[in-house]
Amino acid sequence: MIQFRLAFPLGVLLAGMAIAQEPAPPPPHSGGDFQYMHARMGMQKLVKGAPYSAQAVSQFTQTLADGSHIQRATTSSVARDSEGRVRREESVGAIGALAGSTASPKAVFIHDPVGGSSYVLDPASKTARVSQPRNFTLNSDAPGAHEMHQRTEHAGSQAQVKTEELGTQTMEGLMVQGTRITRTIAAGQIGNEHQLLVVTERWYSPDLQTTVMSTTNDPRTGISTYKLTSVTRAEPDAALFQVPADYKVTQGGAGHGRSRQ
Amino acid sequence: MNDIDQKLQAGLRELAADGPREAPASVEERLLGELRRRTRARRRNGWLGLGAVAIAAGLALTMIAPARMHHVQAPAQAVVSTEAFSSRAAADPGDDVALSFYRLPDSDELPPLESAIIVRVQLPMSSLRLIGLPVSDDRAADLVEADMLLGQDGLARGVRFVE
Repeated sequence: MIQFRLAFPLGVLLAGMAIAQEPAPPPPHSGGDFQYMHARMGMQKLVKGAPYSAQAVSQFTQTLADGSHIQRATTSSVARDSEGRVRREESVGAIGALAGSTASPKAVFIHDPVGGSSYVLDPASKTARVSQPRNFTLNSDAPGAHEMHQRTEHAGSQAQVKTEELGTQTMEGLMVQGTRITRTIAAGQIGNEHQLLVVTERWYSPDLQTTVMSTTNDPRTGISTYKLTSVTRAEPDAALFQVPADYKVTQGGAGHGRSRQ
Repeated sequence: MNDIDQKLQAGLRELAADGPREAPASVEERLLGELRRRTRARRRNGWLGLGAVAIAAGLALTMIAPARMHHVQAPAQAVVSTEAFSSRAAADPGDDVALSFYRLPDSDELPPLESAIIVRVQLPMSSLRLIGLPVSDDRAADLVEADMLLGQDGLARGVRFVE
């Protein structure tokens, strides 16, 4: 009886503790369409013998039904040396039409194909995480995507795609070649009253082997613009592609700077 | 064999010749009573032990189950809500295994990838509509974690859901 007298209140106490230890509900979103958690390298095209430095400006503009606009812009720094090392310094405040609930911390991505190392630097904590470019496949047969593939493929099969060459012009002191891709979504295809035109223009520098400007105008979401500005073709400072001496280097693990609230 | 041994042997023979003997009824009764009491005590202790084990197991399940259910139920919600994904991708299958991203419907005409980063985000299912994915209304408010494959222009080319 003594054991039972002890066991019952102990059970009640433990049960209370168990209830108290249930995982907390996900944090509420304070506005925005997504919450940034962390980032890592995906891939980097290797280009040697064409160094440059530039600012990359990404803008998104959406026109609402009342005629007002939503505009967002993010600026990042890009540098590449003659050996193909690349440094990108950016924060992810938006992904196209998706607005981040908070500004993500700035991350620095260094890809060094010569030294065989790549890093994600967190200037706030002065840590550098080894982050080799991650192999990935981009397809319509990703796990579990079969039904979606069928749905979107059905829509895509009825879309007409036209590609036009826009000739050449000079941007930021660079000769660039233009291409326009127009996708026509026929009336009624997705419930649209009139046909929709999704237009993407790309201005590409053969010298730098990089896109200098691109725009995508999708009437369903808005206009996305990417543009390199302040382009210089001098060899960047080699220190840009090295981990600063006062940074602590860590191996692998999750990505850079969780910013959950 | 000495004298003592011979006397002991003779005594034992006499005792055996008297035939089987039984303990007095009162002694037998007390012995059986004590046996029953101990048996009941062992049974009660056994039930108490089993009860304690059951309570402990129940508590352990109570503590562990919510976390597990959170992970187990989420894919089912994703199935219902998107009506497209039959499962979620594994969290991180290892650096040497290629991550498989679902190509976003409107990404075909975007400029080719020159550099890409993989950004992990948490977002409500409804946000996925903004990048062209079908989401049913009943699960639009569900939060999911996803890896977004972003190109040099900051636009998403692919998405994978994280379990």
